[in-house]
Amino acid sequence: MKIKDVLNNSNFNLINNGDTLREINKTFASDLLSHVMGFAEEDDILITVLNNINVLGVASLLDFSGVIFSHNINVNDAIIAKANELNIPLLRTKLSTAEAVVILDKLGV
Amino acid sequence: MESYNRVFEIERNDIGNAGTVASLTKRELKKRGLSRDFVKKVTIGVYEAEINVVIHSYGGTVEVEINEEFIEITYKDRGPGIENIENAMTEGFSTASKYAIENGFGAGMGLPNIKAVSDEMSLTSSKDGTNLIIKFFIHEDSYEN
Repeated sequence: MKIKDVLNNSNFNLINNGDTLREINKTFASDLLSHVMGFAEEDDILITVLNNINVLGVASLLDFSGVIFSHNINVNDAIIAKANELNIPLLRTKLSTAEAVVILDKLGV
Repeated sequence: MESYNRVFEIERNDIGNAGTVASLTKRELKKRGLSRDFVKKVTIGVYEAEINVVIHSYGGTVEVEINEEFIEITYKDRGPGIENIENAMTEGFSTASKYAIENGFGAGMGLPNIKAVSDEMSLTSSKDGTNLIIKFFIHEDSYEN
């Protein structure tokens, strides 16, 4: 399952110019970066409400396939610019984190 | 390959640049052909410790040494020190500020994560500063096949 396949579902929108051909390992949902650092794996897609540049630091260090911002949160321009620089796709959804996890599971992530 | 030795300054509360040392170290390790798993564990250790200096200390330095045998990262900050190291080493125990928590840190997982990934860890602290040394040994199986 690639990021572009997730984007075929109307709940998820791409909000930057990241690489959507990345293969997704699995979903990882958390708003605590140390938990993400400790437990997430390479090529995971992270679901979070953490609207913060450090999300991209962690996403880059762990080589995530992408980041999904849930609850339709506003993502600031600095994050979008940094994600473009790192070629990390950013998605946004109006779903809650839990709902997004369920939908991704149904899609086969 | 040549030894790598660099010293970086870490500023207090400079969350925007937190992760820079981890990112540069990761790049250097990848260049040396070390495996993904090995690079990941070092990166986690370097990042967590870097965040600790940013969110808990008055600022400090980190020295990264990489040679054929090991990677040693030495953090020295200017205080205020860790009041109780045993508590700090406990998963979930945190003294993080509201500022740190708002930025996604402060889960109380930093030091436990560092201990879990590193081969050796030494932590000493007084009100004048905390010294943390973490070490990873490079073995044959640390390299990409």
